[in-house]
Amino acid sequence: MNPLYARRRRKSAIAMMLCVGATVFGLTWLVLILATLFWNGLAGFTLDVFTQMTPPPNAQDGGLLNAIVGSLILTGLGIAVGAPIGVLAGTFMAEYGRYSKLTSIIRFINDILLSAPSIIIGLFVYGAVVVPMGGFSGLAGAIALAVIALPVVVRTTEDMLLLVPIQLREAAAALGMPRSYVIKRVTWQAARTGLVTGLLLAVARISGETAPLLFTALSNQFWSVDLLKTMANLPVTINNFINNPDPNWKRLAWSGALIITMAVLALNILARSLSARSQSK
Amino acid sequence: MTSHSISDSADMAASRSRADALASFKTGDTIFQWMTYLAAACVLLVLGGIIVSLFFGAWPAISTFGLDFLTTQRWAPNARPQAVLGGLGPIYGTLVTSVIALIIAAPVGLGIAVFLTELCPQWLRRPIGVAVELLAGIPSIIYGIWGFFVLGPWLADTIEPAIANAFEGVPILGALFDGPASNLSIFNASLVLAIMILPFVTAIARDVFSTVPPVLKEAAYGLGCTRWEVVRHVVLPFTRVGVIGGIMLALGRALGETMAVTFVIGNSFRISGSIFAPGTTISAAIASEFAESRDLHQSALILLGLLLFVLTFFVLAAARLMLMRLERKQGA
Amino acid sequence: MNDLSITEPATKIAVRNLHFYYGGGKPALKNINLSLGANQVTAFIGPSGCGKSTLLRVLNRMYDLYPNQRAEGEVLLDGENILSPKQDLNLLRARIGMVFQKPTPFPMTIYENIAFCIRLYEKLPKSELDGRVEKALRSAALWDEVKDKLNVSGLSLSGGQQQRLCIARTVAIKPEVILFDEPCSALDPISTAKIEELIDELSESYTIAIVTHNMQQAARVSDMTAFMYLGELIEFNETTKMFTSPAQQRTQDYITGRFG
Repeated sequence: MNPLYARRRRKSAIAMMLCVGATVFGLTWLVLILATLFWNGLAGFTLDVFTQMTPPPNAQDGGLLNAIVGSLILTGLGIAVGAPIGVLAGTFMAEYGRYSKLTSIIRFINDILLSAPSIIIGLFVYGAVVVPMGGFSGLAGAIALAVIALPVVVRTTEDMLLLVPIQLREAAAALGMPRSYVIKRVTWQAARTGLVTGLLLAVARISGETAPLLFTALSNQFWSVDLLKTMANLPVTINNFINNPDPNWKRLAWSGALIITMAVLALNILARSLSARSQSK
Repeated sequence: MTSHSISDSADMAASRSRADALASFKTGDTIFQWMTYLAAACVLLVLGGIIVSLFFGAWPAISTFGLDFLTTQRWAPNARPQAVLGGLGPIYGTLVTSVIALIIAAPVGLGIAVFLTELCPQWLRRPIGVAVELLAGIPSIIYGIWGFFVLGPWLADTIEPAIANAFEGVPILGALFDGPASNLSIFNASLVLAIMILPFVTAIARDVFSTVPPVLKEAAYGLGCTRWEVVRHVVLPFTRVGVIGGIMLALGRALGETMAVTFVIGNSFRISGSIFAPGTTISAAIASEFAESRDLHQSALILLGLLLFVLTFFVLAAARLMLMRLERKQGA
Repeated sequence: MNDLSITEPATKIAVRNLHFYYGGGKPALKNINLSLGANQVTAFIGPSGCGKSTLLRVLNRMYDLYPNQRAEGEVLLDGENILSPKQDLNLLRARIGMVFQKPTPFPMTIYENIAFCIRLYEKLPKSELDGRVEKALRSAALWDEVKDKLNVSGLSLSGGQQQRLCIARTVAIKPEVILFDEPCSALDPISTAKIEELIDELSESYTIAIVTHNMQQAARVSDMTAFMYLGELIEFNETTKMFTSPAQQRTQDYITGRFG
């Protein structure tokens, strides 16, 4: 074999080995993190986690019920506010404003908001909601989550609606259908799976968010579903419990971490399999 | 055609009732259009709201410290007669951790992307792709506690002393890796950050690599190029702008990441030359102090937030512009 | 075929001095003048890019969906200028239906594809609505094939069936004119034959315009044929005359396959 060619082959083989190495390296972390999570999370896992309130320090029992319920409320409310606005905004971009300059500006801004630090959103909501309302509240937390969900939904909605063939809109318009009907009954229908995927991804994104809740919803040791008061939630509870020397709190924090990660991963997998199914159709 | 006049009048009646039916849609149609318009405006409003609210919150600190804020290292919220607050420590920590994270994550992420697009057998592509994306989905607080309980102690016990010994006495590098090993350090934070942004780099690089027209690669292989040569001389040059855009997007993530860092960086406002020493970042400082802060202290934290937002805004804007350029090239 | 020699048909649509622009620059249609007779089938032929589809999309103002596209001149539907900005587009499109090149069933059931369109304009009790859906499907020669599966998705039908579903949908809202934009170009020969037969039947009740690049199809289905080239109307005549003794050399060249 020509020596120059042999050298080129060797070089290529080394580079490709490094790529394989990089992949192994990357996947190792995933395995390590999940292993740690299961090891510590399952160690102290009992059904009480789902049925009891968060305990005071130095107790032996207790669970995460109020934090779980609080997280569900905050996430649900955040999506309930953020998703409709996001879907409508994405609809504007793909339909009414499809060819307008404004749409490219909004898309640019939205893409930036999509990756903006979530703690900044927390500061924004602190200034815009917590201060005027005179205190931390579940409502403020939900608003912060809504602001984080908004750009996710806007982005997926626009992308999915742009995938709907233009002929379908023309065919609907050719029947004399009013524009809003064309959108609501035809294009949304055609993009249904994609829109649901976007919502799921948005839920996944906000349900693990911690930073923006630290100074909006804060947390609450007790059961409370009053939106105008501080509200318990899983991420902040984990944050507060994990660093504490109390072994009972630490155990609950690990259990909470496991719950939240599994929920987020399940949502991600569900969203992905949905979109894979719609693509193969 | 005698039927003509009859069908004409029937048509007239039909078209009138049709006009009525359509008129009843008019209001709903207009309202719906306005709703989408307002919703779109909300996106702009959020950006405007963020800027205005941060600026107002930061104003007391801006007017008190002025430009000195950027050059002062001392962070003493309880000093008498007045708090002395300088943002240099967190700004330094933010930049250093992000840059180190990128130095680690960018080559690894690109390597994984090359593996996925060029090497990986078809059946393994999807599972690995999904696994990497799942890594991106794990909430950042999980990375934080994992870094705190697992990665930190391991680094402090094994890796850090080894590196410190290896470079002891070497100028500059020796100082960089100096000092007692610690669970909480800039190095630990950087590594956790690197693991966090790895999936972002990988996902974008993979998408960007897949924009290379297969004909181009086939032409290169047809000339007898090795895989590495195709990657190096066809794929990377073709996608350079997009790859840089993707890396900057990941940088934007790293700069603003909060929970993963807060747990492992040690929250020290003092700047140390060694990356094995504790430090802090802007987001970690805000996360750990904001809820208990008041007055000028709080305003200084908001000012830090404003600086972070401006920084990430420009990084992300540059990243998006680069990715848009690649898209245009692809369309042309 | 209708017997043309007895009476000259009434004019349904008259196009007067029509110019069309896709933005700035050269017009895509130049000074078009022609009339579509009521209950006649008018075919538009010509090489691709000649403007025949563009002309069709002016007739129901489909171009209005896009910015920067504009038409100048007049298009009179029963004597009224539909290019006037005061024209209600939805109302216009309810009167002038359109069937597209690719079948475009909506992502809903076969039944809903039609019922949905009827309900836009009329509030009907369920039983009457069922009747209308059946009638529409029958007039599109689809009823026998789908009557047992009205509740499955329209997307599950074959290409030819989908196209007939689209025709049924168009007929269901009782238009006066139906525009066909190369309705068979995505279909196999058997489906094509079915659609052509259908167009022949529909011409008894509707005024029809069809764009096609299949000259045999034009010869088979139409009463009048318009030959267009580079945005201009070259020749417009009775189909039989057009295909036997065209007046223009370019028409002759095209239909004998010398270019295009």
